[in-house]
Amino acid sequence: MSIIELNGLTKYYGKARGIEDVSFSVEEGEIFGFIGPNGAGKSTTIRTLLSLIYPTSGSAKIFGKDAFQYAPEIKKEIGYVPSEVFYYDNMKVNDLLKYSASFYKKDCSRRIKELAGLLDLDLHKKIDDLSFGNRKKVGIVQGLLHNPKLIILDEPTGGLDPLMQQKFFELLEEEKKKGVTILYSSHVLGEVQRLCDRVAIIKEGKIISLEKISTLRENSYKKFKLETHTRVDLGIFTMDGVSNLEAKEKEISFLFKGNINLMMKKVAEINLLNIWIEEPSLEEIFMHYYEKGE
Amino acid sequence: MNMFLHELKAYRKSTLLWTLSLAILIILFLSIFPVFSQNAEEMKKLLEGYPEGIRKALGISIDSFTTLLGFYPFVFGYILLCGAIQAMHLGTSLIAKEMKGTAEFLLVKPVTRHQVITAKLLAALVSIIITNIVYLLVSSLMATFISTETLTINTFLLVSLTLFYLQLIFLALGMLFSVVIPKIKSILSVTLGTVFGFFIINLLDSSVGEKSIRYLSPFEYFDITYISKNASYEIPYVILSLAVILVAMGTSYFVFAKKDIGA
Repeated sequence: MSIIELNGLTKYYGKARGIEDVSFSVEEGEIFGFIGPNGAGKSTTIRTLLSLIYPTSGSAKIFGKDAFQYAPEIKKEIGYVPSEVFYYDNMKVNDLLKYSASFYKKDCSRRIKELAGLLDLDLHKKIDDLSFGNRKKVGIVQGLLHNPKLIILDEPTGGLDPLMQQKFFELLEEEKKKGVTILYSSHVLGEVQRLCDRVAIIKEGKIISLEKISTLRENSYKKFKLETHTRVDLGIFTMDGVSNLEAKEKEISFLFKGNINLMMKKVAEINLLNIWIEEPSLEEIFMHYYEKGE
Repeated sequence: MNMFLHELKAYRKSTLLWTLSLAILIILFLSIFPVFSQNAEEMKKLLEGYPEGIRKALGISIDSFTTLLGFYPFVFGYILLCGAIQAMHLGTSLIAKEMKGTAEFLLVKPVTRHQVITAKLLAALVSIIITNIVYLLVSSLMATFISTETLTINTFLLVSLTLFYLQLIFLALGMLFSVVIPKIKSILSVTLGTVFGFFIINLLDSSVGEKSIRYLSPFEYFDITYISKNASYEIPYVILSLAVILVAMGTSYFVFAKKDIGA
């Protein structure tokens, strides 16, 4: 069953574009990456899913139910970690989390302790006195304390130190093992690469690509780096499938998508000193997407 | 229920502060009354020296000024002003606070927007009711204590209760403003601006005596001098007040339910 189903979701703020014709679905138990630069429409999409904003047109379903009509019911099983955490001032962490838990008809106190312990969060401090990173932890605990079936994360790692990010990823992987579905929005590609099964790329309000992380990386692109004895005419590499072509001194690098044999023949003509053929990082692939503006 | 209790707790300090301030204010105001009543004749002469416009604006009528019910409207105007600020501030922050980021907390919980706004409204109402109960108790005790003749307590209560009605109006107006104004930067300045605006219209109008602009300021829906003289409310204005409250609150509910909660 699809946990999230977006169909032609469009949102305009007056005349300003929010998102246009966004469609994708997230299957049960997967970690779905949602990626794009700032202002591309990630948060707009997520806020629409949570019925914080209403779409201009199109539909959204969560757990097979209309996300707007059945919003309160659906939200019992959704955990949301916002990108910026404000929260009521003048409250202790523990009180806020208890207040949050009081909306769900189950006992969450054990889970709160467990999560706080894992993330090394002091429950007895006032929220006012917390650093940005620690506030973020409050947001994470708050989003996960009721053991939701769907977790929606909007750039959740900002402010967390690398060690904490590591723990956080492990936490998400554990949730995934339990069968929880996760929508992970981010502009940090490494995170998505590491965690996600599939990824949707959004740019200027539109989904420009929807792929499995594995296909995206393994099948389509190879990263070539050549070191040569003498300067080589770059012209021989101008062919279909070559992108990001760069040359400095006696080093040439580019991304290649297509018949690898054709490329190998070309490379064979050159007097090489060294050669690297690697899987490109997602970062490089996405830069490619952004620039081409497909 | 959890939201209501949480909001109530959040209002605890401000309720206490406003309630105490109003109580202390009315004790101070009423404690100067003996000075007026004991020197009645001199006072009347002094007041006659004031232009009529100013007397009216200040709510002073010479004939009755030296009785408690004649004196009370004069000081009660300032109690109303304070009460209006308290209520408007409650009303404006009701939703404006929610728009500023905490929305992502409450509105992603399994509750409807109507439930959210109702819980907050009820908590604000309780806060106002507490203020009014304490105010009524303190002011009637004080009034009985200082009044030179036997005090018609009914009339005194009728006048004092207008604090509650006026607060309801400003609570509703505050709510309306907070959903209609796109982005409220400072809740306090919207509150003070509106309340003082209406208060000044009220002052101007009382001195000019123009009937038609009486509808413009909620401060004038309850003519305190009239109430203390006639021991009754003016029905058309009671209806008008009810209408303002219902329309403002209804609109707030409606707009808030459809509103996009911005990032």
